[in-house]
Formats: sequence, C-alpha cells, structure tokens
Amino acid sequence: MSESAVEHVTAPAHHAAAESHHPTAVQYLVVAGILTVLTVCEIGVYYIPALQSVLVPLLLILSAGKFYLVAAYYMHLHFDSRIFSGLFFFPLTLAALILISLTLLLGFLAHHPGP
Amino acid sequence: MTMPFRLNRCRIATWSGLTLLLLSVVGCAPPPGTHYRLDTLSPRSALTQRFYDIFVEVTVIDIIVLIIVVAIFVLALMVFSTRTGEPTEFSWRTDVFLETAWIVIPMILVIAIAIPTVKTIIETQPYTWSPDTLEVRVIAHQWWWEFRYPSTGVVTADEVHIPVNRQINFAMVSRDVIHSFFMPALGGKRDVVPGQENHITLTANTPGEYWGQCTEFCGDSHANMRFRVFVDTPEQFDAWTKHQLSAPVHPTEGLAAEGAKIFADAPCAVCHTVRGISGLSPQYTYGFRGPDLTHFGSRGTIAGAIMDNTPENLALWIHNPDAVKPGANMPTLGLSGHDLNALVAYLESLK
Amino acid sequence: MAAQPRPIHAEQTSYLEGGGIYGWLTTIDHKRIAVLYGVTAVFFMALGGFEAMAVRTQLMYPNNHFLSAQTYNQFFTTHGLTMIFLVIMPLETGFFGNFLIPLQIGARDVAFPRLNALSYWIFLFGAITLNLGWLYGGLPNGGWFGYANLTERYYSPGPNIDFFDLGLLVLGVSSVMSALNFFVTIINMRAPGMTFFRMPLFIWSILVTVILILLAFPSLTVGLIFLFMDRYFDTHYYRVIAGATPILWQHLFWIFGHPEVYIMILPAFGLISEVIPVFSGKPLFGYPMMVYAIIAIAFLSYGVWGHHMFATGMGPVADMTFSVTSLLIAIPTGIKIFNWLFTVWGGRLRFTTAYLFALAFVIQFTIGGLSGMMHASPPIDLEQTDSYIIVAHFHYVLGLGALFAILAGFYFYWPKVTGRMLSETLGKWHFWLAVWSFNATFFPMHFLGELGMPRRIYTYAPHMGWDFWNKWETWNAYIIALSFIPLLLNIYWSLTNGERATEDPWDARTLEWSVPTPPPIYNFAEVPTVTARDAFWVAKYGSVEASGLTQSAPAIAPALVDVSKIHIPAPSLYPLLMGLGIFGMALGMLIGWYRVIFTAMALLVFSAIAMAFEYPNWGEENPHAVAESFLGLDSRKVGMWSFIGSETVFFACLISTYMVYKSRSLGVYDAGILNIPLTSFSTFVLLTSSLLMVLALAAFQRDDHKWGTIWLIGTALFGCIFLGGQVYEFGDFWLEHGMVFNANLFSQCFYTLVGFHGFHVFIGVVWLLVMAFAGIFGKLNAKRSLAVEICGLYWHFVDIVWVVIFVLVYLMRTVKGA
Repeated sequence: MSESAVEHVTAPAHHAAAESHHPTAVQYLVVAGILTVLTVCEIGVYYIPALQSVLVPLLLILSAGKFYLVAAYYMHLHFDSRIFSGLFFFPLTLAALILISLTLLLGFLAHHPGP
Repeated sequence: MTMPFRLNRCRIATWSGLTLLLLSVVGCAPPPGTHYRLDTLSPRSALTQRFYDIFVEVTVIDIIVLIIVVAIFVLALMVFSTRTGEPTEFSWRTDVFLETAWIVIPMILVIAIAIPTVKTIIETQPYTWSPDTLEVRVIAHQWWWEFRYPSTGVVTADEVHIPVNRQINFAMVSRDVIHSFFMPALGGKRDVVPGQENHITLTANTPGEYWGQCTEFCGDSHANMRFRVFVDTPEQFDAWTKHQLSAPVHPTEGLAAEGAKIFADAPCAVCHTVRGISGLSPQYTYGFRGPDLTHFGSRGTIAGAIMDNTPENLALWIHNPDAVKPGANMPTLGLSGHDLNALVAYLESLK
Repeated sequence: MAAQPRPIHAEQTSYLEGGGIYGWLTTIDHKRIAVLYGVTAVFFMALGGFEAMAVRTQLMYPNNHFLSAQTYNQFFTTHGLTMIFLVIMPLETGFFGNFLIPLQIGARDVAFPRLNALSYWIFLFGAITLNLGWLYGGLPNGGWFGYANLTERYYSPGPNIDFFDLGLLVLGVSSVMSALNFFVTIINMRAPGMTFFRMPLFIWSILVTVILILLAFPSLTVGLIFLFMDRYFDTHYYRVIAGATPILWQHLFWIFGHPEVYIMILPAFGLISEVIPVFSGKPLFGYPMMVYAIIAIAFLSYGVWGHHMFATGMGPVADMTFSVTSLLIAIPTGIKIFNWLFTVWGGRLRFTTAYLFALAFVIQFTIGGLSGMMHASPPIDLEQTDSYIIVAHFHYVLGLGALFAILAGFYFYWPKVTGRMLSETLGKWHFWLAVWSFNATFFPMHFLGELGMPRRIYTYAPHMGWDFWNKWETWNAYIIALSFIPLLLNIYWSLTNGERATEDPWDARTLEWSVPTPPPIYNFAEVPTVTARDAFWVAKYGSVEASGLTQSAPAIAPALVDVSKIHIPAPSLYPLLMGLGIFGMALGMLIGWYRVIFTAMALLVFSAIAMAFEYPNWGEENPHAVAESFLGLDSRKVGMWSFIGSETVFFACLISTYMVYKSRSLGVYDAGILNIPLTSFSTFVLLTSSLLMVLALAAFQRDDHKWGTIWLIGTALFGCIFLGGQVYEFGDFWLEHGMVFNANLFSQCFYTLVGFHGFHVFIGVVWLLVMAFAGIFGKLNAKRSLAVEICGLYWHFVDIVWVVIFVLVYLMRTVKGA
C-alpha cells in the first residue's frame, strides 16, 4: 500500500477520473466467458489422468487467471485508482507469504514426529 | 509562551548525575567470577561456551553503541541547552552523509552479529549424532521431569545423571502442555512440546551438580518445576547406572514394612512405580502418572526438586501436596500420624 | 424508530461544553471519543498498575506467601493484557489517534464518526469482558500469549481463559474498526495540499500502525476462534491426540504478536517526533528517512514473528531466516534514534516536562532496542528467552519507551485537550521520580535474567543470586506507583486552578495548534490549505527554516465563514446499543444462556438498522462522501477495500490451517469425501452471480433501475443456490457419512473454512436483498450507484475466495503435503 500511496503525492485529486471508465456489459460478458472456459479447464485438468503430474502448477495458474480477471474487471481494479490495487494486492501478497511460510514451518521444516 | 530556564549549571549537573547513575547501575552487575545456581554466564559445555561467546560479542557491541548514543545525547544537551534566546541562523534539517552513515554502520553491526549467529545455528543443530552418544529421553509432566535412558532402561525423576566429556542427546517430549528444559550452564533451553520431539545435544566438560528449571509457563506450579543435572565421571556414572538398575530392598519388618503395605493399599501405586514391588504398567495409569519411586531414597530432592529429600519435607508433601506445590496432580490422601510416618519411612528406605 | 437528529449548535466554543452525560454517551465527536478512550485507559492503567504492585510484592522475598500461585498467575497475565490492550493501545491509537488525526490533517472529523463511537463502546465492553474475572471465576491465567494447549478446557477448566478468549475477540473487532476508520481518514480526509510527505510524522506513524492492525489482527482472530471452538465445541485445533500441534497457536499468535509490538511503539515514535522538534526549535531532522524507517519497520515486522519461537525447535533454516530479518530491524530503528538526536543537535532547547520525557524516551528506548538485538540471535536467545532479561527488554521498550512517549504526549497535548496548563514544577517532580524508579526497577532485571531467573514464576528459592535485586526492584516499583502522585496532583491542580492555555502555548509547528483551545466541535472554521510540512510554523513564520523569533503572520486567521453552517453529524445512541449487543453476545456465550445471546443479537441488528436510518434522508446522502476527499475517492469505497485487505489475511490463516492439518489428520475422514461435481456446479453458480452483479451495476450506472433491480435479485438468487448446494453438501457429509463437526482435524478445518466462506455468502445475500429492495422502491439510481458498487466489491471478493478454496481444497484434495 505504502509505495503506491507515496506515488500519489505527485498526482493528487482526480475527482472525476476515478469513477468514470467502468467496462460495458459486453466486456463483462466476455470476461464471464473466459472465466467459464478457465473453470472448465480446471475441472478438465482434474479429471484427465495424464495431467496428474502437473496438476498443482496447472491448477494454480488457471485459478490465478480467474482471480485476476475477477479482481481486475468485476472489481474494476484495472480501471480504478491505483490506490485500490495497492489496498488489495499488498495484503494479498502478505496473505500468500503467510500461507507459504506456515505450510513450510508446520509442514516441512519442523516435522519431528513424537515417540 | 516560552518557558524561561535559568538554572543551566544545575541542569548540566543533573544530566551528568543521570549518566553517572546509569553507569553505576551498570557497575552493580553481578561481579565476574561469582557463580550462582542458574546463572547463564558460567558455561560448562562446548555448546554453552559458543552461546556465551556470541553473548559477549553482542554485549560489547551494545555497550559501544549505547556509549555513542549517550555521548551524542549528553553533548547535545550540554552544548545547546545554553542557547535559550539566542537566534539560530541555520536550521539543520538533513545531511546525506550522516543519514548514510547511520544506515551503513548498523548494517555492519548487524552483519557482525549475523555471521557468528548463522554459523552457530548450522553447527549446533545437527540431527546426526556420533555412535557413542548417550540418549536421555526427557519427558515433561505438570510439574516434574521424567528421565529415561533407553540404552540401559534406567528411569528416574527430577535428577538426571550424565557422564562428563561424552556427547549427550536429550530427546524431549511433553506428556501434557508445553514446557521448556532450561539448564543454563550445560545446554541453554529448548521447549518441550507435546507431539513433537526436540533435542539438545551437548558435551559437558566439568563434573558437578547443575540446576535447571522449566521456563515455559505451564500452569499453576510453573515455578515449582525444577531439576538437577549431575555431571559424573564415567566411573561414577557407571556405578550410578548399576545401582539404579538393581531392585530395591523390600523392607520386611518395622515401620518401613508397614509403609510398604500402605503404599500398595493406598492409591499411591496407581500412579507410582516401585520396580519389582508395585506399580501398574503405564497403560493403566492414564493422565497423571507420577514419578518412578524405585530408588526414591537415593535422590536428593522431592516434588520437582523444590525441597530437599528429608523425612520432614516428605511428610509435609504427602500430607498436603497442594500446599507445597499448588495445583499438584497428586491427591491429598488424608494420611497422618503413624500411617504417614510409616509411608515416609518406607519411601526413604528405597535407597 | 429513528431518533430525530438533535440540533447541534456549531457556534459552541469548545467541544467539551454542553450535552451533559447523555451527550457523552451519544457523542460521535472524535475529540470526545478520544477523551472517553483516555479516561478508560487511565482507569485500567491504575488496575494494571495495582496488579503489577501485587506481583512485585510477591517477588520481594524468596518463598514469599503474599499471593497464591493461582492469584499470581492471574495477576501477571492480566497485567500484561491490561497494559497492552487496555492501556497502551487505547492511549496511543484511541486517545492520541482520535484526538490528533483530524486536527493534524485539517479535517472536521474522522471518515466514519458513528463507527468511531462504536469502536469505543466495543472497546469498553471488550475491556469489561476481559476483566469479568474480578467478579466471578478468576482473571485470565494463561499468560498474555495464552499458549495452547495449556488454554484447552482440559488444562484450564475455569472461565478464566474464556474471558481471555472472548475479551480479545471483542477487542479485536474494536481495533480493526477504528483502524479501518483511521486509515480511510488519513488517506482520504486530508486538507487540501496535505500531501503524504507533508503529513506530520505522528500521522505517518498512525497510518502505518493502522495498516499493521488491519493486517495483523485477523491472524489473532483466527487463533482465538480456534481456541473458542476447542473450548466450546470440543474440536481439536491444538490437541496433540488428534494429530494437531499447539505450535499452530504460537504461529498464529505471533504473526499478530510481533506486528502488535510495533502497533504499540510506532505511535510512540510519532509522538516523540512531534514533541522533540517543537522544543528543540528545529524541524525534524531527516523527515523522509524517518518516514521510510517507519515503513521499513512495518514491512519487516511481518517477517520476524519466529524470533519469539526460537526455543520451540523450528529447525535451523527457520531459525536463521527469522534471526537475520529480526536483526535487520536494527537499521531503521537506528535511523530513527540518530535522527532524533540530530534534531536536538543545534536546536534552541526548552526543557519542558514533555521534552524531558521525550528525551528520556530516546535513551531508554535505545537500551531496550539494544537488548533486543541480543535476543534476535538464537544462540543467545536460547539462554535468555523466558528469563527476566526479556522482561527487562520489553519493559524498556514499552514501559520506559511507549509509556514515556505517552507521558510526553500527555504533557504536550494536555493544554489543547483541556484548555488549561499543567504545573511544570509538579511535572518535573513526576519526571525525575519516573526516570529514577522505572530505571531502577527494570534495569536490574537484566542482571536477574543473566542470573537465570525465569519469567512468570510466583516463587523462587533463596541464594540464587536473585534475592537482593528482587527486593530492590520491589521497593523501586513502589516508587513507580508514587511517581504518579505528582501527576494526579497536577491534573487536579490544572483542572481547578490551572492557567488558561492559549491556542499555541508551546510555539508549535503543526495544524492542531492553529485551532482555538480547547478546539471547537467543528475543529476548523475554515479548512486550511497546506503549502508545506510543519504547516502552522510556516503560517506563523513564513518558512520551515525560520528561526521562530519573528512572527510574519498572525497565528490564527480570523474565521471568515459562518460556523453555524458547518455540517456536524448528529449524536447517536446506537453505537452504545450495538456495543451492548456485542457484549451481551459474549456474556451469553460465557454463561451459556442462548436466550441472552439471541436477545443481544436482536439488539445488535436493531441498532444497526436504526443507525442506517439515522443518516440524513434515510441514508440517501452522505454529505461527507466526496466533498472533503483528498484523493477524490469515496470514503466508503476506500473503507470497503481496506476491509477486503484485512479479510484476505483472515482467509489466508484459515486456508493455511486447513493445508497444514489436512496431512496431519487422523481417522477415517479425509479430503477424498469431497464432492467435485457438486462444487464444480456451485463454482459456476457463484461465477455467474458475479456476472449478474456487474450487470446490475452497469444497469444502475446508466440509470436503468428496472434491470438493475432484476440483476440484483438474480445475484441474490444465485447466491442462495450456492448456499443451498453448500447446505446439501454439509448435510450429506454429516448425515450420510457421519462426519460431524469435530470428527477429526480434516472435518473441523473443512467445516470451519468453507463454513466461514458460506457465512460471508449469507451476509452478501442479505446485503443484496437490501439493495434489491432499495431498487424496487426506486432509491437507487446512477448517482447512488456507488452503493451497488461497494456491495458488489464484497460479493466479488467472496467469489474470488471461492476461486481459491475451490482449487486448494477441492481440486487439490488428493495432493499430499500441500
């Protein structure tokens, strides 16, 4: 948050600009189409035995794509003030780090089974 | 409104006084060379020696930094406290050189601390042990310590014997809540966690008696969960092991024999084992299993090493455990008078 | 049912005047709320101080019997909890934050005044919950850190830990609410020209602090919810017997706990950075570096929580990582200390009491920081952790650090808050007594730590080398208590006989000193335009560098506006009632009376609805929304996004727990039970609902309220279908497979994670229906489409959480060790 906040020092107060360029209904429908395709891919990947070895990376990439589309288009981060992107992606990064480090700390690094 | 201050000389005196005071407080630190039971400044193993060396290094760094900060501080106050009312021509707001200096200097100090730290971590947290390592299993209970020697089968409580100059691996696990196994002179501390085996690996270098204590808050009697470590010569240690493995002599007459009967009849035997004589196997003693009492009379302390093992103390303990160790899991049996004395006599006879 | 807004006469001179007791109970003025926080915190400081004195008395002699072990454990626990959550945080964020944020950034109030009042009342009731043990059952007794599994019902059967658990949950709600409020205020409500790098350093420190609160408290909340479930619903989150590990609590607690340390110390840095420049007669040295240092500390504070856990056996990799990140904090901290020193250097010093406390802070905090460098190194930490050297460390940082900063701020701002001056003589007495007694009490704790004295022990044996210093510390602790007597006398003297304070008694630099003393309810008759840092100094003397001897402009510009036209939000009783509702729910949970819980819930819902109708024209307009915004953003939208940020961390903690416990779970149930076809269908339903939501927004934005309403109802309907699928899924697991809530680690983590998501969907559906009704009654149009947009943000967030859950929980169900 803080860094994007700092950048705004030089460009304060776009009163009108912030709310204007929301996507049209057609764009929304296109995004919905892509989301559907991605979800079908996810489920497909899950059910195709040949892809089991690359299941995790494939699923992560597909879901990251969906995540981004919803955040950027439905939640308008792509169009709104960058401060909102900061407000979302900074905590998101932190959340991802917490998830990764907790999984490592409790799963791999300190696994001494008791007697 | 500006507050006029006239007593400049007084103020300088006070500030110097404050500095002196700080220094004198620092000077009141425990004098070097004195040893107390739990002090962290008398390392007696290679492991704690490493801890101690880093501690000294960081302390020296800390003191130097503190002296610099205090010096700038006192100087600033002494020089500029006299300037009340003088006009300032300049207003010093920033200085690239200084700002860089106090980024770079702390960074050097951080690196100076980080290098030995990382080195020690890598070298003292091995999960492999040399073949002749003696394993001692430490099992923490609310609020006492159980020690088991898997290689010989010795089981004891609150007092652990280890041979000098031999690598010892304390493998620790808790039966109930989280405790911490702290023996400052020999191994520092490590939490004892239920469901997770932690280790302290050390080689003690000086025979003697060392104290330890639980240092993770573990309930009512956290303060009453102490233990002793005896670093023996190899001969002493072998003799001790042999003695521990022998069955105790079962008293056949006198007060002690009566006590043996009370021990077996009263609920004592539900939790406590006297090998060869009484005691249920562990699967029946669920929840609160008490210390193994096979060679109880040979121990120096009772009740989590908080009292010397004397008949009086033992009677006090059995009479009302909760008064000695609040929250203790040992029930009050309502024994008194003759029965109590008999039980004490029996337990003390278990040399 | 909506109370008519009572007219407030803006021509009132001081915020303190008028209203009577009812006025204070219903106030939504940030300055009055600040005073409420202050008074409450001072009360609890007395209570926490009393506990500390009792604890010290017990430790005076070896084998002392002044307190029983149980009482001692309750007192040291509650002393810690009280000082952290009920004294330092409410004083720094609650009192100084509330009072100063709007005044320093040139705003009339915070962004959400009612939410602000609500935060206070919830804080008060949380504090009461935490202290209910005085009346019944005993105070919390598990340490402020409340390490599991000692806090499980089996080891702590009494209500003590329930007070801890529910009290902290309630306090967490309050903290997050006020953090969100302050964040939006600072981002959005600044006066024209108050760019980020013109903000006073206190505002910077609070900004970073509230970000820490927003992103750290969710972790504690998750830990406390698990503890709550273990204690009330017999789950196994911290029970080894089910394959869980109590270390999970430590991670969740310290992910919160270390940022919490900075939540307590950063506002102190901010206060010091306000006091030192004023009495040094110089601008703050190296302002940009100070700002970057605060930001750096905040960033690092999330990566160092493991240094509280070196002894738990995390393994060498984790030990090294956490050690190095912890050591790095020394760099920004060093920057701050030297910048303060060089602010003093070359100044014209005026030794007021506030200045003395601020100067003492610098040295004492340095001592605390230096001993912190020791503990950052695991080899040293393995000797020192949980010993008195740690007690010395954090009392130097928080007691002689944060508390001294609070006292500096107290002496500095008292004239502004009350309109009266304090006696400098009594202040000096207080200062010297405090410096002596605090140092004499806490410095020897370093020695006790070196001599191996463990923390949290209620008794100790003689001849351990601890006897003298313990006795010494106890006597000096009594002097600490005595040192507050001059303060109390001073307060009394000032309120009765104190000299009336002028607007600017200290010749200060920032905007809060430009308003009348005590400030009027509207703060600024005319919202100032800021042209430089140290805005008030520049207004007085022409430039930041000015020596301050010749005034170039009148300090207070005469008000040119008709102050009676200033919009002041009407007072409201509902924040208090809502707080009571939350308190009632916690109380009902404690005594197990479901009638109490439901009554309290009804009160909560009623007052929430009533509060919504209190807005002018039944919520149709928000006069604060854009008009006063600095960035041209709507405050509600900024608020929603910061809430979503906070929620992200909340779900991350829930998902991490699921991932970790999935592979540790014992028993017959595992992720193989999950129904992929059903949840694939649910995923499509939820994605479609998001599409309908944006279509609704697009419709309202082009003023098509018919289709907007239809799409909204459609969204709610799809949400209901999703919920139906979830109910079916849960019912199937529960009834057909017998997988009850606490069957094993997998079942409880699955139900908790997916259940919390379902609860969010439920809230979203309710919200959507409210919006749909507004649409049916023609209350929504293009001008008010923002309300739909904000509701939509929440809805899409719930959707993307599901995107993550669907992949990590469902599609990766067979992946081991993930």
